[in-house]
Parts: sequence; structure tokens; C-alpha cells
Amino acid sequence: MKRNLKMGLAAFALGLAPMAALAEWPTDKPITFVIPYGPGGGFDTIVRVLAPELEARLGTVVTPENIPGASGTRGGQAVARAEPDGYTIGIYNIPGLTVSQATDTDIGFDLGAVSWIANIASDRYAIAVKADSPITSVKDLCDLGRPIRLSDTGTDSTSSITAVISFSIIGCDIQNVTGYTGSNETMIAVLRDEVDATLKPINSLKKYVESGDLRMIVTLSDETLVENVPTSTEIGYPEISGFAINRVVGGPPNMPAEIVKQLSDTLMEITASDSFVAWAEGSSTGLLPLDSAATSALMGELSAFYKNYAPILLQSRN
Amino acid sequence: MGFDSLYEAVFLILHGGSLLFLMAGIVMGMLFGVIPGLGSTTALALLIPVTYTLSPLDAMYLAGGVMGAASFGGSITAILLNTPGTAPNAATVFDGYPMALQGRAGAAIGAAASSSSLGGLLGLFTLLAFMPFARQIVLSFGPSEFFLLAVLGLTAIAISVRGKLLRGLIAGLLGLMLAFIGADVITGQLRYTGGIDYLWDGIPLVPTLTGLFAISQMIELSLKGGTVSGKDSPTMKVTGVWEGIIAPIKHWDVLLRGSLIGTLIGAVPGLGGTVAAFLSYSSTAQSDKDPDSFGKGNIRGVIAPESANNAKDGGSLIPTVAFGIPGSAETAIFLAILVLHGMSPGPQILIENEQEIYGLIVAMTISCVLASVIGLLLTRWIVLITFINVRIIVPIVVSVALTGVYVLEGRMADVVLTIVMGLIGYVMIRFDYPRLTLVIALVLGETAERSYHMVSMISDGSAFGFMLGRPISIVLILCIIGTFLLPLIRGSLARRRKARSINT
Repeated sequence: MKRNLKMGLAAFALGLAPMAALAEWPTDKPITFVIPYGPGGGFDTIVRVLAPELEARLGTVVTPENIPGASGTRGGQAVARAEPDGYTIGIYNIPGLTVSQATDTDIGFDLGAVSWIANIASDRYAIAVKADSPITSVKDLCDLGRPIRLSDTGTDSTSSITAVISFSIIGCDIQNVTGYTGSNETMIAVLRDEVDATLKPINSLKKYVESGDLRMIVTLSDETLVENVPTSTEIGYPEISGFAINRVVGGPPNMPAEIVKQLSDTLMEITASDSFVAWAEGSSTGLLPLDSAATSALMGELSAFYKNYAPILLQSRN
Repeated sequence: MGFDSLYEAVFLILHGGSLLFLMAGIVMGMLFGVIPGLGSTTALALLIPVTYTLSPLDAMYLAGGVMGAASFGGSITAILLNTPGTAPNAATVFDGYPMALQGRAGAAIGAAASSSSLGGLLGLFTLLAFMPFARQIVLSFGPSEFFLLAVLGLTAIAISVRGKLLRGLIAGLLGLMLAFIGADVITGQLRYTGGIDYLWDGIPLVPTLTGLFAISQMIELSLKGGTVSGKDSPTMKVTGVWEGIIAPIKHWDVLLRGSLIGTLIGAVPGLGGTVAAFLSYSSTAQSDKDPDSFGKGNIRGVIAPESANNAKDGGSLIPTVAFGIPGSAETAIFLAILVLHGMSPGPQILIENEQEIYGLIVAMTISCVLASVIGLLLTRWIVLITFINVRIIVPIVVSVALTGVYVLEGRMADVVLTIVMGLIGYVMIRFDYPRLTLVIALVLGETAERSYHMVSMISDGSAFGFMLGRPISIVLILCIIGTFLLPLIRGSLARRRKARSINT
């Protein structure tokens, strides 16, 4: 998984060069960009920021369409049923859907058959405790003498899955308190002393660290992402350093290669533009632009990775 | 900080073209409010793409205009057509429609307008007053308090259905059973979905409400025929508007209680205006000297829900200013607009997005006053709706409501559910079962179940002991006990009084 991130970055650098030589995109039909969640979330926002940029570069109308429901699978199903002509694309929650597939949950379409176009963003995880908590390390958490209480929205959320796998590798029992209505609520649960810690994307935690409410004790990464916070590799668990939540653009199965390439190149161009980078910085979105080949390779590795942990995940649900 | 920013926000809004966006928001909010099936959430969701091209502040004015105006728009439909225009107006029909039938529609709309304005203003003033303590408020309300608030709401069902207790309980239990459909919020296990994907996320609220209230009422009207008012030509004058406008001041106790309940419930994520208005209505009816006059055109029964459902907007901003988290569907969209403009609302929101927050508050304040003024100016003509033959009204309302339900999520299944709920609602009307009771149980059932599970996990299984260790929880437990005891005490007092009057 890690190797692929680096490969992707290299591919991204190469992709910058030939971006001027694009064929004309036929403008006779609008492009529908499916968002599998309701208006207002992270996936919705990123599509609504991408859409006008795509319009400007392709010269055709791009309509974001929210198709929420069934944990993001209804939107994926709608894309899978569409014609593979490039006029219907969607954004996917990875590894959320990867995990569903690995645990044999019926998501109504074949994730492996999706024509992957590009990876846009990727957020890394960290574990945080209350700022004035005596806990300063993962070891302190494990030494509480009882299962560590963590907060999450639902058992099928990506951060919950990451927590279950990570702590099973570390070898500590956890009690995952789920049912919070949003990721902000899970962090406030730490402030209310309802749980000991929470595992969340760094960009979400950052806001609470800056306000002096929370303190990160470890980031799930190889390299130092936050100053003075050790990485999971440094504390001896490199296996959990690859976790991330990705926002990936894909299309219906069997999309012609040239259409995939054109869309992929255009998205790479957008993600490298100053205005998009500035937006990402302002909204604390971690950018990870990968073209279609690198994205497909990443999907394959993720699928294999989560398949290994399917038994642990299935067990945690009962 | 506070007052300077407030002053600046007022100045900014009166400057340049901003007022135009505010007015556009107000008109759109009222329109979406009046039409059953559409509400402020739909209006805001449709506006999100539009706001991308606006400056963040203009976007706030547009959103604030919609939020302040929609619930008053909805009360007009509730009073005139016995159909709540938006979900929170569901309790307004109880006394608003009987008033309209008695020829007091003007007074009812007047009362709804001024209690919406005053309730909205009280909610926002409460918000401004408590802004410095917003963090403490949010931190002292956890799953344990959410659970007890939901139970308190459920006990209010029992006292709200005086006279037809059994039917009320049946409707409430049906609502609770519907609340359990879908994936278990904690374990993710599917329950009662019958293999239908649509039911994974549970029974959605908007189609249920639109079906139970709007569609069923349209079935009822079309079978009855004629006009809503029962007269063919508008011979009677719209009188008593002024009587209605000053009513909330005369009944200031109802206004204050409604606004307080609205602000409090608004601050609890997931409960919302429908529950706030219902609790305000039932507590007003219960504590009144003459509870039996409610449901028969008592103006206090209009003031109570209308003040609460506008005050809730102020309350729902408490979690927003404290941590940048939404207290309602509308504030969730407000936060989405900020994100779309490249900001990241979080615990520092009051420092980083001060201008936008105060802009929204000022816009909502102006909106909830202006919407009422506009509404009152139009009352004479709006009331004419009740003299139009229902054969014209029914097809329009049904088609717009079904379209509105479809637009919200783009699912045909929502439309089917709306029609099914419409038929269930009609059966409930015919056999005199309270429909709002079912809806309240549906909303509260989900919160109660989820929060109880969470308390149980947090406290390692000793949920009740955990609740007893929290001061606010203890207050709520006492309120629940009080709700149960109140009718008993009232009953025994009445018996004693009766006995005494016989003796003398």
C-alpha cells in the first residue's frame, strides 16, 4: 500500500507534463457527477468544487447529483448501471466500500469492475486524547486495565474499521462506542470524558488540537506528519502506518481507455491548479492526486489488504 | 468582540446589494414553507450550488432569509388547509384549523405571525446571551441527556392525547415500531427491512410527514368536496388580525414557555422543530386551567407551537457556535456552505468565521420579522384559498408535494412511501387516531434507542447509575416523573373540589 502511494506521486509528477495536448471533449451532453451522500459532507463538497473546474476545462455542463442512501452504495449502483460513455461518473468512499466487499456485504455492484479514473484526496489518521489527560502514549492507553473506550459514528465507518484492525495488531482490547451522529460529535465525546480516545483523520483532529481541546498521541504513518507527535512506525507498529481514507473518482465498468485518460488528465490538471490547492489548504483536505493507472493499482492492493482482516472485522460486528 | 461584530453585521447587511439576497431568501423560504412537502431544508439544499458563485456573506443572507421565513409560511397552510406546510407546523393545525372553521382565520394567522417573530427573536436573543457559555452547554449534554429528553418527549405523548389515550398509545407504538426499521445504528444489523434496500436507512421523515398530513388531508378534502371553509363565496371579512397579533403579548406566559422549549430542543441535535412545537403545545395544553378548550380553536394552541418552532433556530445554532457542529438539518447546510467556500468550521468557528456567524444571525432576525409582516399584508388574499373549490386545490397540492418529496433525495421510493403514508393517514383520520403522535414516536424512538445503547457502552452496562451521577440527567428524570404525576394530581384535586362543592 505504501509503495503505491509513492508510485502514485511519481505518476502524478509525470502526468503534469503532457496535460496541454488534450482532445476536444464532445459538449452535446452534460456530465452527471454522482455523489453517494447527501449535500454538505466531505464527498459532496469536493465534487461541487471540482465540477465548475471540470466545466471550464471540458467546455460542457457538469451536474453534481446527490444519490444518498444505504451507506453510500446506492450512488455507486447508479453509476454502475449507467452507460460507460463518460457522461456519468461518481465519487467513491475508499476503503469503506472495499471493506464491505471484503466482508461479503452486498453493495449491489462489483467494486472490482469500476473504471477507476483518479484519486483526488487522502486523509491520514491519528489517535487523540483530551488535552489535559494523563495519557501520553498508546502504551498508557493499553495499560488502563480495561478495554480502551473509543468513539465512532458506526461500525461500518472507515475510522471504526481502522481502529478495530489497528488495535488488534497492537494487541489491546477496545470498546468502540458507536452511534455518534458525526465525526465532530466523536471528538466532543472525548471532551465529555465519555471515551478515552478517538481515532480520526488528522485534518478533523487538527481543528480540536489547535483550539487546545485535544492532543494527538500518535499518527498512523511512516513519516512525521505532525510536529512532536510520534508515528506508528516509530513506536513499533509499521503494519498500521498505511491506513488512509481516499476520495476516488470512477465510472461505469468497461469505459473506453481514451475517455478514462481524458477525464483522468483533466482531474490531474485541476488538482495541480493553484486555486484547488488553495481550497484544499483552507479546508484541511489532504490532497493525493493519482491518475487512473495508479488508482487502479491502489484499489487492488487495498482489496487484498482488507481481505486479510475480514475475519477480525466480522467478529467485531457481533 | 460580540457587540462590535453584531453592529458590523447589521451595517453590512444594510449596505449594497445584500438586502436583495436576504429578500430573495425570505420569499423563497415563505414559498417553500407554504407548500406541503417542501420545507427550508429542501430550499437550502437546492440553493447550495447557487451559493458557490456568491460571497460567503451573501450566501449567509440567502440562507438566513430562508431559515427565518419558512416556518411562518408553513403555519398559513396549517391554519387554512389543516395541512402543515412544514413538519414543525404539525402541532399548529390542532387549534389553527378549528379557528379557521369558526371564521377566525385572520386571528389565527395574526397570532402565528407575531408569535413566530417574537419566538424567533427570543430564540436568537437567548443564543446571543448564552454564546459565551455555548461550550459548557454542549459539553453538559451527552447521550444520557439525549436519552432522557427523548423519554420525556415520549411521556408527553401520553398527556397530549387526553380523552383518547388508547388510540394515542396505539399510534405512538406504531411510530416506535416504524422507528426500529432499518440498520441498527450501533451494530449495523438489518431489522424488518424485508429484503428492501430502501429500508436500510430506516423510514425517512419527510415522506412520512408529507404522506400522513398533506396527502391524507387531500384525500379527506376531495371526498368531502366543496370548499375548505364550507362557503362558496368570500362573504365574511377577514377580521381579528390585530386581535391575533397582540395575542402573544396577552398570553406572554405561553410565548415565553414556547420560546424556551424551542431553544432547548433546538440545541439537541436530531430532535428538531417538530418535537419542539409538539412539546410546547402539549405542555401548554396540560398546564392550562381549561385543558379541554384545546383542539377546539384556542388561540394559545397556536402561539405555543409557533413560538417554539421559530425559537428552535436560535437554539440549533448553540452547538454550531460552540464547536461548529450542526444542531439541525438547516444548520448542517449552513456549515456546508462554509466548507464550500474553503473554510473549515470547527471549535474555533466563532473566532475564524465570526463575520459569517453574525451575518447569519442578523439575517435570521430580520427575516423572521419581515416574513411575518409580508405574510400579514397578504393575509386577506391568502385566506381566499379556503373559498376555492377543493377540486382545484387537491391536484395542485398533491402534485407539488410529491414532486417536492422526490426532489429532496431523487428517490422514486420516497414518493411511493408518501402515498402509502397518505393512505395510512387517511385511515387514521377516519378512525380518529392522532397522526402527530406517530410522527413524534418515530423521531424520538431512534434517538432514544441510539442514546440508550451509547450510555450503556460508556458506563459498562450500568446505564441507570451513570445517569444518576449527572446533575442535568437528574433534573430530566424528575421532569419525567412530574409528567406522569401531573394528571394524577390534577385529577385528585378536581375530585376534591367537586366533593367540596357537593358538600356545600
